[in-house]
Amino acid sequence: METLDKLQILSGAARYDASCASSGSRRERPSCGTGNTSQGGICHSWSDDGRCISLLKILLSNDCIYDCAYCVNRCSNPVPRASFTAREVVSLTMEFYRRNYIEGLFLSSAVMQSPDATMERMVRVAEMLCTGERFGGYIHLKIIPGSSSELVRRAGRCADRISVNIELPSQESLKRLAPQKGKQAILEPMALIGKEIGHSLVERKQSRKAPRFAPAGQSTQMIIGASPESDFQILRLSEGLYRKMNLRRVYYSAFVPVNQDNRLPALASPPLLREHRLYQADWLLRFYGFSVSEILSDDAPNLDESFDPKTAWALRHPEFFPVEINRSDYATLLRVPGIGVLSARRIIAARRFSPVTPEGLKKIGVVMKRAKYFITCSGQPFEKVDPQPALLRSRLLIGDGAGEVVPEPPRQLLLPGLIA
Amino acid sequence: MRRYLYDGTVEGLLSAAARIIAEETEPETVFLGERQDTLFEEGFFVASDPAAADAFFRQLRRDAPDAASTFYYFVLAEREGLESSLLRYLVLALRYGDRVNGNLVDPAVRDVVTVSRKASRELHRFKGILRFEKLRDGAYLARMEPDHNILQPLALHFSRRLRAENWFIYDVRRRSAARWHQGSLQIGLIEQFTAPPLSPEERKIQALWQAFFRTIAIPDRRNPRLQRSNMPMKYWKYLTEKQGDAPD
Repeated sequence: METLDKLQILSGAARYDASCASSGSRRERPSCGTGNTSQGGICHSWSDDGRCISLLKILLSNDCIYDCAYCVNRCSNPVPRASFTAREVVSLTMEFYRRNYIEGLFLSSAVMQSPDATMERMVRVAEMLCTGERFGGYIHLKIIPGSSSELVRRAGRCADRISVNIELPSQESLKRLAPQKGKQAILEPMALIGKEIGHSLVERKQSRKAPRFAPAGQSTQMIIGASPESDFQILRLSEGLYRKMNLRRVYYSAFVPVNQDNRLPALASPPLLREHRLYQADWLLRFYGFSVSEILSDDAPNLDESFDPKTAWALRHPEFFPVEINRSDYATLLRVPGIGVLSARRIIAARRFSPVTPEGLKKIGVVMKRAKYFITCSGQPFEKVDPQPALLRSRLLIGDGAGEVVPEPPRQLLLPGLIA
Repeated sequence: MRRYLYDGTVEGLLSAAARIIAEETEPETVFLGERQDTLFEEGFFVASDPAAADAFFRQLRRDAPDAASTFYYFVLAEREGLESSLLRYLVLALRYGDRVNGNLVDPAVRDVVTVSRKASRELHRFKGILRFEKLRDGAYLARMEPDHNILQPLALHFSRRLRAENWFIYDVRRRSAARWHQGSLQIGLIEQFTAPPLSPEERKIQALWQAFFRTIAIPDRRNPRLQRSNMPMKYWKYLTEKQGDAPD
């Protein structure tokens, strides 16, 4: 089979992996060889679905022995199968990198023969790149659940980021949809990676020559909408992963039906809006000082589709507002809908010179469309709004120009019997 | 209001700023513009003085390193007519240090910071979307048409990244080029540019990349608008993956 055909099969099979980050690792000046990494990451292109392309994202093979219900590569699917040789992956990566198409390699794989055999072949590709070609660009390796800890350690020593996919948000769903992947097989390597990263950070503080272990940290991914978990359960899981396992990112991937299977829900389209709201909530957890219990509760376990989670929180907490722009601290400013991390920092910096005016707020980049209902500027309110939440909701939804039609958001269909 | 003129070069600009700040009591209110050599032009012309310019920039870099880098990117933007704002910005930078960049409520600071941010954003974008092609002699060539004059910092980026290769970056609109050859970087103007022949395997590699670009998109999530907002069409001309691709 030609390299071109293999590339088409194996990149098509890899596209459902959401992560394409190339940030978090810094090797500015390699002593020799080709390639470096930049702390902020670099996007090289954007594909037709609007997602960024930063890494050459491919599978080493799509020849799988597992039969996970949601996966396009499961062994019962009649799709063409292909496998790259290590040399092919290395030469593709180098040729693409020298032409500045990519920032590095993202290598995943279907499970061939056994987890260890597969992981061994993947690690060898990464080691060939690092030591053979002296490649200094970014490498992201997927860890196959169930691989031995020695292979996980080898992977962490040559890759910038390693990740184990948690796949589904609960053990029951995992049992039902991916019976060959166990919870332990996923969480064990995750904990091991977290521990090794911690060790390496301590060692590197003592000596700059100490070896790095996955300097860009670890991430994971789960599929949204293939199983009946609520947003509350999903976000609680993410919060736990961030706090206990020290993950850099949790990716949410809207379920795209690629198989006919009666264990899967029938969807009109992938739940993209839900995915978007989950990412917004995820950002609130990581950068805005929110906890899951503030965003959702057992009584309201799912995110509001018509408002972003921060606006929804603000509507439930009228006692917190209005916030005075010229006096409130950073953490308080961050809670105002329409003010993000950047605007909050800029407000604080600008206040040191002179009081911020309504005109200045716009220039700073605050989204006034939302913020104006929640702030005062040197004691002056912006809008004479009836503090009744119901009225505020409709104003926020419709905007100032009445008469606009708000399209009905697509709803997720659930098969009866799916929710036990 | 006092009017000052300079010769239009960066050195001239720095010399004028140094002189005005040293001599005027309220330098932030002075008008500064480029000399047009018209008959009725008014204002005091400050000649370019390399030593004064150098000393002034050193001082700026010592007292306000962030502001010095803002100034660098502002110059790359090649924006005319904002000299007075820039002068006020420099005065404030020397007075307040790096905190000046936070004073976005001041119109002059905002103008300078906005222009400079645009240039640095385009530089970052080109670190990603610049495309090299392999030539028959084994060197690599990239062509580009950026809005800002980002050739120098861009070439520095690639001199670290692709240090083992020989390459050229050619700015088609400004006719300037950077050349990295056996570990040394040169930047200069090119009178006449003829595209050299490509290496025999180049089209094959490009076809591989184009195939990857097509298959990596998830069909159910097609979103051309998002693609264009992240990667504006003005940059598609030299993008390997967008060759022969009709815009939707």
